[in-house]
Amino acid sequence: MQRTLQAKWDRNSRIYDLMTWGEERRFAAAKRRLCGHMRGRCLMVAAGTGNDFAYFPPWLTVVAIDISPQMAARARAKAMSYAGSLVVQVMDAQALAFPDAAFDTAVTICTLCSIPDPLRALRELYRCLKPGGQLLMFEHVRSRIGPLALLQDVMTPITRRFGPEMNRDTVATVLRAGFELCWEEPVYVDIVKAIGARRPARDGR
Amino acid sequence: MTERMKCALFSIGDYLAGGLTGALAAASVRVCVPADTDMVLAMLLGMAVGMAVHFLLLVLLAPVLGSFHVMVPGGLIGMYGGMLFAMRDTMQHPPSPLGQALGVGVVFGIVVVASVHLYDWALKASPTSGAVV
Repeated sequence: MQRTLQAKWDRNSRIYDLMTWGEERRFAAAKRRLCGHMRGRCLMVAAGTGNDFAYFPPWLTVVAIDISPQMAARARAKAMSYAGSLVVQVMDAQALAFPDAAFDTAVTICTLCSIPDPLRALRELYRCLKPGGQLLMFEHVRSRIGPLALLQDVMTPITRRFGPEMNRDTVATVLRAGFELCWEEPVYVDIVKAIGARRPARDGR
Repeated sequence: MTERMKCALFSIGDYLAGGLTGALAAASVRVCVPADTDMVLAMLLGMAVGMAVHFLLLVLLAPVLGSFHVMVPGGLIGMYGGMLFAMRDTMQHPPSPLGQALGVGVVFGIVVVASVHLYDWALKASPTSGAVV
């Protein structure tokens, strides 16, 4: 499973920046706003080619991971220009090699659509966040509008072959993982959202 | 380039892409779905043809306009427009001229893009947008 996933994203790494040129420009302000909440020691999951590093506030300590060695190699090149500490590692989000409560902030940008078991990945993030630590997400989710949701359901069997799934109920998965939802902001219709959640200060799980 | 100008250019691109998707979906349905097909089958075929057109345009236009901004209106135009165009083509005897069918496709595409923009604007303007939940 991991090798298939790595191979898929290694392939995508060659055209990733080209395919996301327009998206980066249209979503830049929303991503910058979201990343403005980052504080303390931060973990970024699924860094891709590192395009989102440009939105990080300066002088943070960030560890960024990606499952694809090719993506990580491209991300490392972009990490050089970050004004702070930014380390890129190859790692599966479903099995994080970090100790418990190691981070103050976790960031995911278009990540949970591509992870085979998003609940497992979120539980790993929960474990690695300090109590009270925040989870910042920029994700696309299944629409609540019937015709749009049907469209996403129809498209998902095709899109998952070369990239992400379109119809995941990510907010529900965040709650199932034990996080408290703090805010939810529509970025593009009710499909692309910025989401803020936190690990409760007292563990309720 | 200012943020405002960038938004305006992307919006124009959205409407052009919507019109193009509508026209190509209407033309493809006219070519691929025989006029004497049972209407229900024609609608299903039209949906498939419209989605195929949408996927093709998604690959071409997503790098410039952004995948979500192409996928959401384009998918609606391809899927639902394809069904409507096929229904129209099997119901009209004699069929409307191709130019008229393409024109309706363009108008349908532009209306869908405008509706998506309106919905997006309404969601962002909603008092619950970004609210603590």
